[in-house]
Amino acid sequence: MEKMERIIRTWVATQQEAQITEIVAEISGGQITLLNVVQGLGEYLTSDEDDMRSKGVSFLSAMLKKSSSDSFSRQAVRVLTTFYCGKLDDPETILPSLQGLATLVAFPQFTSGDALEVAKAILAHVTMKALTVHPRYAVFSILDTLVSNHRESLKTMGKDFLAGYLNIADGEKDPRNLLLAFSIVRVLLIEFDISSYVESFFDITFCYFPITFRPPPDDPYGITSDQLKEKLLGCLSATPVFGQLGIDLFVEKLTAGSPVTKRDTLRALQVCLPVYGSSTAETNSKKLWNCLRLEIFQPVDVETEDSALSATQALVKTLYDGQDTQIDDVKGFARTTTQECLDILKQPEKSQARHAIKTICTLLSTTSSVSRYVVAKAIPHLVGLFQNPEEIANRDSIVSHLADLTEALRKSPLVVSGEGNLASLKDETLGVFVVALKAFSSRRSALRGLMSMIETGGLITDEELGFIVHSVNEVILDDEDDEETSDTLVGLLTSLSATSAQHITDGTLPLLFIALPDEAPNRDSPIEISKYRRVLQLLERLCVQPILFETLVIRLSAKLDILFSRSGDTEDTEPIAAYAHSLLQTLSRVLVVKVEAEHVDVPKYLELLAIPLYKLFVSSALKRPGGIATNERLLVAAGKVVSSVVRVLPTRRQEEFVKGLFALYWNGVTDVIDIGHNKLPEGGRFTPFESPPLANLVSLLAAAALQLRQEVPLLWDDPNDRLKCVLVWSVNEAQNELQRDSMLHIVASTVNKRVGDLRPFLDEKLPEFWEEYVKNKEVPAAARKNALNAWLWVVKGVLTRGDPRALSLTENVFDLFSDEAINWDAASSIGKIAAPTEVLTKTNYAATKFLAIQKFTNGLLPRLMKNAQGSTDPAVQTAHLFGLSSLIRVIHKATYAHEMPALMPLLLRGLNLPDNEIRAGVIDTLITTTDPSSKDNELVSKYASSLVSVMLKNAKAKDMPSSAVRVAALRYISILPSVVRYDVLHPQKATVIRELSACLDDPRRVVRDEAVYARTKW
Amino acid sequence: MNEIYNPNPKILKTAGKRGARAPSDLWDLGEERTGRFGLYDDPSVADSIDQNEVFDLVRFITDPEHKHMTLEELMVVSAPQCSVSNETNRVQIEFTPTVPHCGMSTVIGLTLRVRLLRALPDRFKVDIRVKPGSHQSENELNKQLNDKERVAAALENSALLTVLEECLEPAQNRVGRCTNQ
Repeated sequence: MEKMERIIRTWVATQQEAQITEIVAEISGGQITLLNVVQGLGEYLTSDEDDMRSKGVSFLSAMLKKSSSDSFSRQAVRVLTTFYCGKLDDPETILPSLQGLATLVAFPQFTSGDALEVAKAILAHVTMKALTVHPRYAVFSILDTLVSNHRESLKTMGKDFLAGYLNIADGEKDPRNLLLAFSIVRVLLIEFDISSYVESFFDITFCYFPITFRPPPDDPYGITSDQLKEKLLGCLSATPVFGQLGIDLFVEKLTAGSPVTKRDTLRALQVCLPVYGSSTAETNSKKLWNCLRLEIFQPVDVETEDSALSATQALVKTLYDGQDTQIDDVKGFARTTTQECLDILKQPEKSQARHAIKTICTLLSTTSSVSRYVVAKAIPHLVGLFQNPEEIANRDSIVSHLADLTEALRKSPLVVSGEGNLASLKDETLGVFVVALKAFSSRRSALRGLMSMIETGGLITDEELGFIVHSVNEVILDDEDDEETSDTLVGLLTSLSATSAQHITDGTLPLLFIALPDEAPNRDSPIEISKYRRVLQLLERLCVQPILFETLVIRLSAKLDILFSRSGDTEDTEPIAAYAHSLLQTLSRVLVVKVEAEHVDVPKYLELLAIPLYKLFVSSALKRPGGIATNERLLVAAGKVVSSVVRVLPTRRQEEFVKGLFALYWNGVTDVIDIGHNKLPEGGRFTPFESPPLANLVSLLAAAALQLRQEVPLLWDDPNDRLKCVLVWSVNEAQNELQRDSMLHIVASTVNKRVGDLRPFLDEKLPEFWEEYVKNKEVPAAARKNALNAWLWVVKGVLTRGDPRALSLTENVFDLFSDEAINWDAASSIGKIAAPTEVLTKTNYAATKFLAIQKFTNGLLPRLMKNAQGSTDPAVQTAHLFGLSSLIRVIHKATYAHEMPALMPLLLRGLNLPDNEIRAGVIDTLITTTDPSSKDNELVSKYASSLVSVMLKNAKAKDMPSSAVRVAALRYISILPSVVRYDVLHPQKATVIRELSACLDDPRRVVRDEAVYARTKW
Repeated sequence: MNEIYNPNPKILKTAGKRGARAPSDLWDLGEERTGRFGLYDDPSVADSIDQNEVFDLVRFITDPEHKHMTLEELMVVSAPQCSVSNETNRVQIEFTPTVPHCGMSTVIGLTLRVRLLRALPDRFKVDIRVKPGSHQSENELNKQLNDKERVAAALENSALLTVLEECLEPAQNRVGRCTNQ
């Protein structure tokens, strides 16, 4: 007892949480009872001093809030309720009493009788206007709980409660309280008999519409205006008795509101109309349509227009809900509106017609009778217009409207459920579209219309599909089309090729294959070239399905064979190579799609496509060294085909096949490709590593070898020596980048996948190679650069799998920073090591580790930064800067974001480095690190003037030959005004505008476009 | 804008964002071609300003009377109506008011001028005229639009300038969308 008195005394003096917690623990432990507490509080509760009384009640309420309801008996709750109710008329204790009650009313022991007592006490004693926000909030939460838990007993109070509540809720402004008030009102409106108070309830709800509340920036309760809008809408749409009053108010807001108000009103209409019911809607339909029409036909913006259309939809749904009448019986609003729109559509080419068709389309998704009525009126109307000879000039607009209509029909929920179909008007509609296909200007709309008709379930029969395909075929080779039209056309055929391939195989494909020439067109006949390319584009999209793809492979392989065999007959082989390249590209693009879609027929194209390709290239290269079979682009394209196929082979097949390839490339054993009828040419031995004219073909070896799964063991007998030999070959023998890269990619991929088997290579052969070829100053600089490049691919392989050796291997690079012959190459190789590559990816079965690059970067970044500033030797300093700039552009910004203040001056210096690729990379880095959302970027502001001048220097064609750098620099200039305050940039403005005018005259259009944009931003 | 000169103008379906198709090359290089440091980053290659580019600069300007429709949609400007000569440094733009009594023609002409003033190199002399026979006070208009003093005076008018900026905004916020690269 004494202890408790002590606790109470301390609390009254200090008001610390700790005392409350202590008491609560005692109560729930059963050491003391509520009675004890009240006794302890006795003197305070009855004190004459206002402050003491208030604190006494506060203590009780705070304790109540912390306790669980189990700690109190029914009796205790009853006593407390009466006690609190009695304290409500005392202005000093009203706040704590209300807070206490707010806790209490939620207790399960709290009965309906108590509820009545509390409600009466509040209505009698509480004067809301005299209270501050907090007690008002308590009142609303008490009432909210009462209304949700003890609704029935409150109903017995009848009008007294409603009148009392109206009194309480009147004039409330606090958003948090309003949220509660709106929930309470919604219940009252729905559950209570408010017939005598309709106007009053209307006043306390509609007075808040529309909500214009904007949350203050530091709102602790985080109430948004959307929450309020939702809650209020719940009240507005709670009861049909608001009908007439509500609509009058909405109409008023619509005629004289801002766009936001309009949107809110339209949304409210959409929700409220169904509740207000059809008779209210009927009486007001004219008035409403007058407002809605304005929003639809002279829209302020697209959003408002859409809301107005939705509101119209709601209106029609409400009006015709449940009426399943015959078409001829549709009367009233829908009829007049449709007629009005159709009248406007009599001038289909005018801008108002667009809005009219939108309105009509909206009506399609209302009720089935209206929808059927609209279809029956609108389609014959448009078809009639189309056939009218006077309207021929406007046919494209008419077709476009009709296409909109069929599209809306397809999307309409009514059609999905089988109603409101255009089945009876199908033939006319189809007829219009088919005719419209023939004219270029209306083709796109016609295709759109056909597409939606096809997609409408159960509308088009198979025979009609055949007819559509036939009609489309007639225009398929028309090269007048712009890209979007041909996209739509191909889209239509593609969707058909997935569902009814037969029509495509029978009708479209033969047509396309015939259109593909056997011989490559001359280089001076661009029309022929673009024609075959267009055909291939179509084939590429159409032949994805297994059965269609097989035909494609057979036909295109045959073309390739012919092209290769005839390539010796002419001097100028480039057009032939280009044509063959297009054929291979087509095959590889389709394969990529198929692999992604996990088609099961891909593996069989090893025998049907990949091996024949090897054979074609090898035999052709042997027959005519230096012919098209060694063309780099052609080999790359063929390589893509091979990769896609080999990638999906099972482990065993991969092992077998690639082993055969190795035998072919290193030992000239042709077994692996010696299948089929055609024999390889006699005599010539295939030795790509020894005979330079054949060396380009190593790229085809890489195409397959990179796709090996990790489970495939090493396929050489002497892997460690062999890998070193390959490295040396790439330095000494390889003649071009294709050859070098192909072999180095094989090395990187092998090291990455089988590092465990290659210890001797990494520990002995690689350091040997480093000493002999990279570090060795007697080797010519060009060869050393190549060797460095070879070496960095090994490191990439190690790094990608997250092996710690990557970092120690990279250490070597720093030794070269003072070696003038290759220091800059060494520095930029750091970036190259970390750069992502398409060679070592999961799709190529590479061993990758999450965050490996990040860890690597974190190991290097501090050192690079330190030496780029601090190193005494300027050459070494520049080398570090070079390394830093090359690294920073390839890594993710999270890795270095926190270092930005220190990096900024370094990057600015990096913009003067003599390497355009690095400069563009640095600018990209600067762009990605600039937070576009903030207007006040301290760091950028600090360097703004130097940034502006260095970017301007990089943006001008006469100072900077690379257009990529110019584009990047101009992009940076264009974002500056949005990330830096105007007052900082003001001194620069005149200079920038003047200097940029020189960029407007850049020789390259891409740059000019950026310059125009940047200049308008300033 | 108290009076609407043409409440229901004729409109055109636009050719799409991509503009005209690029001429065919011998090789179909796809992405390789557009790579940043690829084939096409050759400083010796130049593509000079042509009528399509000038048209791209003005096509998305909106009509002062119909803020949601572009001049292209309303058929006020079209590519063949723009002509560029890089030798004589002249740009000529002809535009067609939607109705012969259109009082907004001066404003449209001004927006065209301002856009080109900001977006073309200053070596060009820009001529803006209405299509012969398309406006009742054609000569008056042409004179007004090509008179430096009067253009400058009009741009001092802040109310007019606000309207201009509004019409120009959609055009200015399109960057790189119309490149045929």
